[in-house]
Amino acid sequence: MATLIVAGLAVAACTGPATSDTITLYTSVTQDTVDAVLGALAEVHPELHVNVFRAPTGQLDARIAAEQRSGGVQADVLWATDPLSTESYAAQGLLRPLSSDALSVVPAQYRSDNFVGTRLLNLVLVAHAGLAPQPAAWHDLTDAAYRDDVALPDPAFAGSAFAALGYFASAPGYGMDFYRQLKANGAVQLQAVGDVITNVANGTQSVGISLDKSVRDALDKGSPITLIWPQPGAIAVYSPAAIFRSSRNPAAAATFVDFLVSVAAQTAIAGTGWQPVRSDVPWDKSGPALDVDWAQVFGQQQQLLDQYRVIFGQ
Amino acid sequence: MSNRPALGGLALAVGLLVLVPLAALVGTALDIGAADLAAGLGSTGGPVLNTVVTGVAGTLVAVVAGSAFAVLTERVDFAGRRLLRVMMLVGLIVPGYVSGIAWLNAYGPAGISDRALGVQLPGLQGPLGISLVLGAEAAPLVFLLVAAGLATRAEPDLERAARASGASAWTAFRTISLPLLAPVIGGATAIAFVLSVTAFGAPAVLGIPAGFGTMTTRIYRDLSFAADPLAFGRAITLAVLLAVAASVVAALAGWLLAPARARRSGVPGGPSAVAVPRMGSGRLATAVVAALAWALVLLAVIVPLVALVLTALTRAVGLPPTPDNWTLANFNTVLDTHAWAAFGNSLVLGALAAGGAVLLAVLGLVAVRGRARGVAAALVGLSFAIPGSTLAAAVLIAYGPLLRDTLVIILVAYLAKFWVLAFRPLSAALEALAADFGRAARASGADALTAARTIILPLLWPSLAASAVLVFMFALHELTMSSLLYGPTSATLAVVVLNLQQLGDPTQTAALAVLVTLLVALVSLPLAGRLGAFASARWRG
Repeated sequence: MATLIVAGLAVAACTGPATSDTITLYTSVTQDTVDAVLGALAEVHPELHVNVFRAPTGQLDARIAAEQRSGGVQADVLWATDPLSTESYAAQGLLRPLSSDALSVVPAQYRSDNFVGTRLLNLVLVAHAGLAPQPAAWHDLTDAAYRDDVALPDPAFAGSAFAALGYFASAPGYGMDFYRQLKANGAVQLQAVGDVITNVANGTQSVGISLDKSVRDALDKGSPITLIWPQPGAIAVYSPAAIFRSSRNPAAAATFVDFLVSVAAQTAIAGTGWQPVRSDVPWDKSGPALDVDWAQVFGQQQQLLDQYRVIFGQ
Repeated sequence: MSNRPALGGLALAVGLLVLVPLAALVGTALDIGAADLAAGLGSTGGPVLNTVVTGVAGTLVAVVAGSAFAVLTERVDFAGRRLLRVMMLVGLIVPGYVSGIAWLNAYGPAGISDRALGVQLPGLQGPLGISLVLGAEAAPLVFLLVAAGLATRAEPDLERAARASGASAWTAFRTISLPLLAPVIGGATAIAFVLSVTAFGAPAVLGIPAGFGTMTTRIYRDLSFAADPLAFGRAITLAVLLAVAASVVAALAGWLLAPARARRSGVPGGPSAVAVPRMGSGRLATAVVAALAWALVLLAVIVPLVALVLTALTRAVGLPPTPDNWTLANFNTVLDTHAWAAFGNSLVLGALAAGGAVLLAVLGLVAVRGRARGVAAALVGLSFAIPGSTLAAAVLIAYGPLLRDTLVIILVAYLAKFWVLAFRPLSAALEALAADFGRAARASGADALTAARTIILPLLWPSLAASAVLVFMFALHELTMSSLLYGPTSATLAVVVLNLQQLGDPTQTAALAVLVTLLVALVSLPLAGRLGAFASARWRG
């Protein structure tokens, strides 16, 4: 038994500092972006230490639910992919209202009382290189020309796919019928956004719904794909940050969230290929995008997922 | 020398590592209540059926291939026999999730067979692929058990006698050795089944993205990917069900493989020094069989590993893995600070698990002697049969509130699962030594402690070291429990590979998978000669 205790102490000693300036971050943001932002943070707030748990949105949801069952959420800050998942947490009373003046630099449509946008993810189309004809609009995905040839990410796995579901379900001219038509046209639901790009690059399917930055990254490496800004526009999803009500270190958590919308962090975010939420940070990589009123979808999240499951199974 | 303190320590360790978590799990199941559990069970029909189907199919593949290879390498003479044996054992080194990823790169969409020949393995991401990879994973163990059975239980003397009396090699084998081997093959079948139904790596990699769930991946999804309370109850139900099924089958395996089950002819003497005449040396049929065997190894082991390396070297997804597209950039990208941190976690966990498991095993050997040791070994063996998914869920419930997200909680699960790996070989080694040498030392006037210190320990030392390395290797392999227990600072290498794979970047996933496999291979080098013996010792008394 002494072994166990000694081993336990040894391990506890290795699990990192737990000083008052240590916070835990739950995030679904891509690793390179988290790393870039933490790198910038180290220069401005060297005293702040951030433990990161990075996982897809669906896995974060499960983790937070499990922690609620046994003694409360263990993290201080949430940095999510989409406003719908984050709003669900706000509705459950898990988030602490944000009060910092620093957040007013973010345009009002990209924040709420409980969370603030940090970057914009543009949902776009990705097509295999040389595909003809190329789809030009979202509605083209339901066209017989792309029968059995469309790849979609899973809304229960990826926050961006969940946002797409939220947008289409409530947008005039689409609705859940859009997904029924996609299914009828043989569209295949994969898991992550990365799976969509992989399958389209490999030619397993020739078109898919994806994210601008992920497509650009694959293009830069030389994947045989094309980035398409669909008509009437890409779906711009803002990626919110929030502070958990159960945070044991709300001051440090607030420092971190304030930092996320600072010019330094926004420049780091832009440097990894995501559109910054601040318009005063240089950015020239986006095409036409739709302004989405996410607030009108709030409250219907579970219902949307249930309806989606009826169509795409699982 | 009193054993009482050791016995107390052992009881405490087993209690904390195994009994407390399992009691917590059962308690939770009772809390949830029969009605809700039944509801949970109702919605788990799919995963249960899928597990049975892939488990049975995988077992079939493993038993047929493993036994055939054992007979081939032990009883048939052909060139390259030794190398074939070594290739079989490569399967023990490659972790299951890496095999799954490697098969995808070899036979999946845009895999090398697709690119080179336009051929894909249909259903690779589904029951067929999972069964094949599970079979390939369990085959080496069946191979080892049956090969060992051929060497000891099949009584070469009898076979030789039959040959001398005019029976053909095949007739002698069929009528003499095969019946004697039946219990071994039966036991190996049960073990292959336990391994297949409790496997997580291959079903996770090949099944989850395709929406094909087995019990272990369903437990993972329900505990790690589902937010609704019903999912938790379902996971508990599945965890209990899986543990019961695995324990029953594992107990059956233990019974079939027990030394007492060996049917003896009464011919005195152990394994003969004179080799059994091998079948059909130099004949065409032999050449054909050998070629078939090599083709199988090529397809199941070599091609997937080559495909994995090629994918890891490819610059971007969607490009053919030809030299002009090669780069080392993927290795650079995946070896970021997180991978290094996970690498550190895996090494720390592996070292502590190895040290802890060996100490616990020694404690067990000191505490329990004689006939009781057999009982202890059986109990320890059963605890190894408890599926990783169940153990992790149990440990999470019991120690989560206190140790959630720490390396300690992962270590607890590793120790509970792996100390049998150290116990069995050490127990066997000690039994072989203690009687003669210990008695001689005592007869020469040494007290028990001196005898242990000066005679037993030095002779046991290689076994201690080898057991530690074996546990270290299994800890580096481990994915099932780590994936359920890790937190912000405690991800292991295997977890990082799984997460990368789930995000859908095949080139980076392959790069990290190659590095992990190289690491495991490096660690297992010291075991090279004994790997087979130790792996099969897991299951034999």
